Amino acid sequence: MTLASLAPADTGARVPGPLRFAGHSSPGAGLSWTTMTSDEATEPPTDEATNPDHEVDVEQETESERAERFQREAMPLLDQMYSAALRTTRNPTDAEDLVQETYAKAFAAFHQYRPGTNLKAWMYRILTNTYINIYRKKQRQPLESDAAEVEDYQLARAAQHTSTGLRSAEAEALDHLPDSDVKKALASIGEDFRMAVYLADVEGYSYKEIAEIMDTPIGTVMSRLHRGRKQLRDLLTDYALERGFINEATVKS
Amino acid sequence: MSEMERQGDADCAQVVLRLFEYVDHEAAEEDGRRIRQHLDECGSCLREYERDLLLKALVKRACNREAAPETLRSQIMARISTLQITTHVVRDEPR
Repeated sequence: MTLASLAPADTGARVPGPLRFAGHSSPGAGLSWTTMTSDEATEPPTDEATNPDHEVDVEQETESERAERFQREAMPLLDQMYSAALRTTRNPTDAEDLVQETYAKAFAAFHQYRPGTNLKAWMYRILTNTYINIYRKKQRQPLESDAAEVEDYQLARAAQHTSTGLRSAEAEALDHLPDSDVKKALASIGEDFRMAVYLADVEGYSYKEIAEIMDTPIGTVMSRLHRGRKQLRDLLTDYALERGFINEATVKS
Repeated sequence: MSEMERQGDADCAQVVLRLFEYVDHEAAEEDGRRIRQHLDECGSCLREYERDLLLKALVKRACNREAAPETLRSQIMARISTLQITTHVVRDEPR
């Protein structure tokens, strides 16, 4: 069944319908999309030129046409959104709720999305906003982005660098860690770090795009990535130690 | 410490600081060129670089795409459809 069959054709004026989702008054707030519009670097050039959904005149579109277009364009991203939500929320129930909420908001704000631009990044931004607004308040966990640690990563990195020689043995050990350890480590770091690392390493977004998605300056993205990875690396090294893949001598060399 | 070695240390510190940008393909052209050149000459920085690359690959590998539950898909579809109907009913009423 298509959505068109559920709704009569509508050629009337575009009056914003009473689209309300779970009490979110302004689903489209802050979803303007500017600098990412011309940057298709991370998206493979699919059928850019031929996809009619990229040429749509949003003003002229009926609501059922828009719903169908949403369905065509956004539903194929569901697995990716769910996977990201799983990593973000760290449990399947919250992940499903987050994805539901993300799609509801995205659908309600879809008229603000500019056809032909990066829909996945746009969806990610909604997902990130939603997570921050709802779930972070709910499960107010202590952030691991302690101020004490801020910015001395430079020193830490420089100091670390003095050890040489057995480094590759450690790298070798990390490579043998099971995926579950990597997921556990990801789940253990601060959520801002986790999201930044996920968007960079799994989705391959540029710093600029991550800044757009997370609504932060690029410098903050870089700092989150840098510190997040440092924490990940330390955690994974601990796991490798626990598993006996490496010993203290290797690490402390 | 010779002048050469000190120069080398300074390079290493600089490179290590910028390495994550290089790993993410975000280093500016000039920085990238300098880092590449340094990695060719410095074994310890090269190992650092390889470890950063490995970590990036590990994260990507561990977070492979998982299929969304079918129920989630149908719930979302149902919600969109419901909204469609609601929207039209409400709008058509005053006419």
